[in-house]
Amino acid sequence: MIVSWNWLQQYVPLEMSPAELEKRLTDCGLNHEGSEKVSDDLAIDLEVTSNRPDCLGHLGVAREIAVLYDLPLTEPDPQLTVGLPIGADEATVCLDASDLCSRYTARVIRGVKVGPSPEWLVNRLRTIYQTKQNANWEPINNVVDITNYVLLESGQPLHAFDLNRVEGRKIVVRRAEKNEQLVAINHKTYTLDSEMCVIADQKRPIALGGVMGGAETEVSLETTDLLIESAMFAPLAIRSTARKLALFSDSSYRFERGPDPRSVDWASRRCCELILELAGGELAEGMIDVGTPPAARDPIVLRLPEIERLLGIEVPSEQVDRILVALGNELEGNAQKTLTVIPPTWRRDLSREVDLIEEVARIYGYDKIPEDRQVPICASSRSREDRAKDRLYHALTAAGFDEVVTPSAVDVKTGSIYSPWSTHAPIQSKVPMLRGADRLRTSLIPSLLSVRRTNENVGVDPIEIFELASVYLATPEGGSEKWHTERKMLGFCSGRDFFEMKGMIEALLLALGIHSPIQIKDMSDTFFSKGHCAELQLRGECLGFLGEVSESTRKIFGLRSPAFVAELSFSVLLAAAELIPKARSLSPYPTIGRDFNFEVEEKIRWSDFAATVERAAGEHLESIEHLETYRDKKRLGAGRKSLVLKVVLRKADGTLTGEEAEGISQSIDAACSKEHGASLRT
Amino acid sequence: MALDEFVAELDQLAEAAAESFSLATDASMLEELRVKILGAKSGQLKSVQKGLGKMDPADKPLAGKHFNQTKQRIDEAYSFAQQRLASVPSQQDSACFDATEPGRQPRIGHLHPITQTVQELKDIFGRLGFSVAEGPEIEDERHNFDALNIDPSHPARDPLDNFYLQTAHSGAASLDDEAKTVDCALESPWLLRSQTSTVQIRVMEENPPPIRIVSLGRVYRPDTADATHYPMFHQIEGLLVDTNVTMADLKTVLRIFCSSYLGEEVHVRFRPSFFPFTEPSVEVDMQWGEGWVEMGGAGMVDPNVFRAVGYDPEKVTGFAFGLGVERLCARRFGITDIREFFKNDVRFLEQF
Repeated sequence: MIVSWNWLQQYVPLEMSPAELEKRLTDCGLNHEGSEKVSDDLAIDLEVTSNRPDCLGHLGVAREIAVLYDLPLTEPDPQLTVGLPIGADEATVCLDASDLCSRYTARVIRGVKVGPSPEWLVNRLRTIYQTKQNANWEPINNVVDITNYVLLESGQPLHAFDLNRVEGRKIVVRRAEKNEQLVAINHKTYTLDSEMCVIADQKRPIALGGVMGGAETEVSLETTDLLIESAMFAPLAIRSTARKLALFSDSSYRFERGPDPRSVDWASRRCCELILELAGGELAEGMIDVGTPPAARDPIVLRLPEIERLLGIEVPSEQVDRILVALGNELEGNAQKTLTVIPPTWRRDLSREVDLIEEVARIYGYDKIPEDRQVPICASSRSREDRAKDRLYHALTAAGFDEVVTPSAVDVKTGSIYSPWSTHAPIQSKVPMLRGADRLRTSLIPSLLSVRRTNENVGVDPIEIFELASVYLATPEGGSEKWHTERKMLGFCSGRDFFEMKGMIEALLLALGIHSPIQIKDMSDTFFSKGHCAELQLRGECLGFLGEVSESTRKIFGLRSPAFVAELSFSVLLAAAELIPKARSLSPYPTIGRDFNFEVEEKIRWSDFAATVERAAGEHLESIEHLETYRDKKRLGAGRKSLVLKVVLRKADGTLTGEEAEGISQSIDAACSKEHGASLRT
Repeated sequence: MALDEFVAELDQLAEAAAESFSLATDASMLEELRVKILGAKSGQLKSVQKGLGKMDPADKPLAGKHFNQTKQRIDEAYSFAQQRLASVPSQQDSACFDATEPGRQPRIGHLHPITQTVQELKDIFGRLGFSVAEGPEIEDERHNFDALNIDPSHPARDPLDNFYLQTAHSGAASLDDEAKTVDCALESPWLLRSQTSTVQIRVMEENPPPIRIVSLGRVYRPDTADATHYPMFHQIEGLLVDTNVTMADLKTVLRIFCSSYLGEEVHVRFRPSFFPFTEPSVEVDMQWGEGWVEMGGAGMVDPNVFRAVGYDPEKVTGFAFGLGVERLCARRFGITDIREFFKNDVRFLEQF
């Protein structure tokens, strides 16, 4: 809302400097956005929150100033001289859409002389419109300028029709018919629908109710008879109409927020007063008034101790009285520590005790609320989830991975390329988040591959990234309440090879205190290179997936270099994490290491082989270290490999002797030979 | 034993020995290798030599000659390595040590600046006694609007101003039954949460007062991405409910928070504002350098919110605040375009 300094002076004496006023208004809730000089006037731009439509007119802003500075407020009191009553055939109004328009009033003025507005009126409007619209703003004519003036004064939108052009001199307020068309005063044609409210005459729509008038009945230099509309339209319908048509006006802006119901009559009278004064003519006696007049407001009881209970400071009761009355509340009763007030019609945001307390606080000043109270201390502990996250963050950054944050929605193509956690189609957003991105992601991997491409394109190397974020899965089997699940995932994308990635995941498990080994379950998915991927399991549960993305996947994402990805379920990690490990006693005795080089058939898998070694080594086994898998067709023959490993042995209660170690070595040899047909290479 | 096998074995040994010797980094390591390869008792060369005895007599002269050549090659490689090690200057020799050569850096990754900020916020509020509460990102209208006193006609519920959700229509004919379930599933509207205040409701629904929590996370509002807007961003929401909680407590907590975050004593300022879920509602500014910086919104929990979760507003009061994480982060690190946060150029991430 732009207000004019000179205009405000009309209602309240501005004795302070503009800068001082701007600050005070900001402090009371009308945030100062900027000011601009317009000839000898100052245009002040104030941000008005949606609960304060009363400040969308100069009078409302003047009232705030009057309350803040304890100054008198002068409100115009329109005085009308009237002629003959409105004739039965002169004008009629029929309200057929009371859900879209709760009240419609009309006054009739005969024999006006439409012409240019006087300078004072043009100046008032220029300050506002030149700042808001453009430097080339021009006044229209006295009648139209007056309706705009009264809108900017009271916040109540008005419209003047050329009554002689209203077919049958009959106003019908109704829903638009589907595909009905209207040429608005901006000379654009709008196609309407039945959710919109039109003002029609006997034949056609002549205005879009509460949004904009029509070109065919607009006031021109030839106009002599006027019908002045002042009405109340339904905020939601106005809002949706304006949005659907992308037609936003000063009028729709105010009706969306709900102007003062009392202003319907006041603004109409004020408008007629000014027209009679500036354009002459004769006002017909009476007003056509259909629909529901505003209901009386219910009283609100304010218990004074509640002010301190909420604000933490006491406000002197005479201040409370003054503030509430100056804001327009009528004092009904003033009992012991209790005030009863009737709130003003223009403040529909005031209906409860707490609303009044906010008014008192706002005007009394939030700067009077102290910022040095003793807030009682209380225990707070970090959640298990946060502790686990921290462990992961430390381990991952130490491993050289950078964290990324990527949008939760992806486009349809990206959304369907890889979805290991769900076979259902992704959840859709009705409005796309970013260009075309209207699918909630079911995996972090595609987002990470996109980030990899972004970085490849600018020559970054290496690109080692991870993200910890939710994926969103449709679960139609869950019924209407559990139709979806959100699962937190830890995703990685890197140029490191399969075993480096696997090793990093193993290290992450250790960082979380998880000592169970990862189990590998074979899988195939064309997203990955054939064979170079695996499902990872932890204690028999699916932990996630790891693999090198296939050539074709790389092509889709436009990636030049090999990319290895993994995605782990954070909830599985969290469930298994042992964040507070118990210390165990350490053996002070030395270790004995034994290296083995077993030749086996290719089909023997390390995990099975190691399990045999572990079993055979028995209680003194400290660790098994895989040193190398060696393949050589010439020396070993096709289909064979040698597994080179180191076994470290240690006793808890004494020094392991060479003989004991030898015995264990022999058991290992025997077991591997028996279970895997392994032979020791020397 | 065939001659060619014997020769191949010798060649392989010579090659392996040369490589091993060349990799030796000090004298004792070289000696170990010498014993292993050239050792008189059980060196590798010695064991190959045993094969010579089993040779076909016809092949023996040739094999013997080759053996001698190999031994000579290995001996040479050994003495070359000896000389090399003798000429290596010791680390203590300062004349041959250039400390200005670059160090070998391990690569250390970086947490995203948003995460760093979130961690710091959790940390500060943790010290003030606030525990972290988590909530879902996909919400129903009760938690995102109704319980927060945002009535059905409120413009904040406009379908174009929120990410309302639907399940995709499955093309497969065999999924007919499923499609039916899905349709019934979305009878009531669900959306990506537009604020973290939803977590307040969930916590109060499940716990009696007193409450002292913060919740952090992603929130979503349709917006065209530009330097200061992004359709996804992060919020921190705080809630304190107890008997006798006042706006002065709110101001105090926010002042302490700002001072902790900036590392110096600063003041906060309240400006009246409007949020459906707090009354009174204020915008919070904090002092930053010479001026005031908008931090976010706050206020006293609206009695209707208390009623919606079954608290008695006559018995408890509370305050809530919501701050934008991107704003706090961008301001601190001098980031002028918030799209950078979500582009994830590694060069950008590595700065923090």
